[in-house]
Amino acid sequence: MTDTTFAPPRTEMSYRALLAGLSLAVLAAFILSLAIGYGWLDFGAALADVLSSRDSLSALVLTELRLPRALLGLFVGFALGLAGAVMQAFLRNPLAEPGIIGISGAAAFGAVLVFYSGLAAVSSLLLPVGGIAAALVAGFLLFAVAGRNASTSTLILAGIAVNSLAGALVSLVLNLSPNPFAATEIMFWLMGSFADRSLTHVAIALPPIATGCLALFATARALDALALGEDTAASLGFDLRVTRILLISGVALAVGGAVAVSGAIGFVGLVVPHLLRPLVAYRPSLLLAASALGGAALTLAADIAVRLLPTQPELKLGVVTAIIGAPFLFSLVWRLRGEMR
Amino acid sequence: MPRLLLAAMLILAAAAPAAARPQQVVSINLCADQLLMRLADPQQIASLTYLARDKSMSNLADEARDFPVNRGLAEEVMRYEPDLVLAGRYTKRVTTDLLKRIGVNVLELDVPRTIEEVEAQIRLVGGALGQEARAEALVREIEGKRLAAEDGATPQRPTAVIYEPNGYTVGAGSLIDTLLSLSGLSNLAAERGMQNYGRLPLESLVTLSPDVLVIGTPRETPALATELVRHPVLSHMPRPMEIAAVPPRLWVCAGPEMFEAVAILRQAAAQARARP
Repeated sequence: MTDTTFAPPRTEMSYRALLAGLSLAVLAAFILSLAIGYGWLDFGAALADVLSSRDSLSALVLTELRLPRALLGLFVGFALGLAGAVMQAFLRNPLAEPGIIGISGAAAFGAVLVFYSGLAAVSSLLLPVGGIAAALVAGFLLFAVAGRNASTSTLILAGIAVNSLAGALVSLVLNLSPNPFAATEIMFWLMGSFADRSLTHVAIALPPIATGCLALFATARALDALALGEDTAASLGFDLRVTRILLISGVALAVGGAVAVSGAIGFVGLVVPHLLRPLVAYRPSLLLAASALGGAALTLAADIAVRLLPTQPELKLGVVTAIIGAPFLFSLVWRLRGEMR
Repeated sequence: MPRLLLAAMLILAAAAPAAARPQQVVSINLCADQLLMRLADPQQIASLTYLARDKSMSNLADEARDFPVNRGLAEEVMRYEPDLVLAGRYTKRVTTDLLKRIGVNVLELDVPRTIEEVEAQIRLVGGALGQEARAEALVREIEGKRLAAEDGATPQRPTAVIYEPNGYTVGAGSLIDTLLSLSGLSNLAAERGMQNYGRLPLESLVTLSPDVLVIGTPRETPALATELVRHPVLSHMPRPMEIAAVPPRLWVCAGPEMFEAVAILRQAAAQARARP
């Protein structure tokens, strides 16, 4: 079971070029995300101040406001792109994505419950715990109702049910809060944003996102084997139950951790794997890294866009990703309409 | 004879407001609630908004417990068969329009932007309630406090930025801006040409680096909007800001309590001036 049995050397070469290109795109978007913001900032001077640890206002803006934003864009986008690629491969379903099937929505509910009840004030670490726990419950529920062999429509219908319930519960918790501002914050949780997040948010989201991504990458070989059919995968020694546990816990950790600090950002996990799949010769294992990098690049680019658009207040990130993603979803449904009937 | 007639008419005119005093007044606006409680006789008040009992928003929360409350729905208002409804110019538009359409006497209150406008509004509501004497007394109280505040003006004005929930700030042409300058502070947002309310990204706030940051008092229950002032960047500023916490109830509505806000700001200004 080595890689060479699957891919000829020529593909290997172009795959490396693809990853290098995507990494460059992520790097460029990351630097742009640091350089673009509100108000004028001499990026070079600010960077010099940071490097020589001088306490200037521009250094402060760079490290305490723009850096957390760029880091969250990188990690959250990475997690969403990866989760989408793994779920589409495992469920053999082109519409599988944390947002569409309701995992993100459930995670938002978990985080909202922890935050507005005041538990997050006890320890900020509880915020991702709430998101992860709710994402886990939703993951197991979805697998129970619509497992691996379910039709596309069964999975989507189960997703609609989870999504609407989660959205309603988020709204309920926000309306029950005695703080009059809470009720207006549903947009943040259902559309997502990196605005005014701090390094604390990065610190609490990074461990679950990193652990979750490792679990998801661990499914790579099993996903390749599964592409040849379940029996073949079993005969190659892959235990489907182990893969399923890795997948659910990986998605819950990565998406739950991400949503807890940035709200639910839709469509990244849907669009990116579809765009990149033809470039990796439809090999699930190769798609994972490419899709994760692509997700980071798209999320960072969308976050740059919301800062450049002259809206008051700032647009939520999910608005931009949905404007890109929804027509894409529509075209997918168009192509699938024979199968879904 | 004509002189006698004139005298009789004057006597009648003086007695008339008392006779025409509205007896069933309903308020559907928090600021109108407080004006009503200050100016009207208790038996004139039919109902106030539920917000009037909220200690964080209302200066007369305890007094408001004596009156029935409403949520500003037309049906609730009609139940009291009001002869006068006090409403805000910009809030509960649907209710206000409906009430006017069915012929209810509605007095819409503007949002005053200066102390003169506050005083004019007090006289307007006092007249509508037939309580001109109490209105004059309240205006005199405010005028006295304003003169006392202007007395202590100093030439050196530290800079200040108001930071309201969700990162909103207050610019020129607002009562809060007037109070800020009365406290001896100069409003940076107004200097930057901002009118009324506008959003100030955290990044811009850091770059402005004011001497004094004016925030609301912390609330017990969390919301992202009110969490913003806890962002670590604000405690890491190279030139630390003086933080002035003003309870929102003091200046959400115009009343004599706005001078308590001035006192808090004045103290912050003094501390900012004392710094090296």
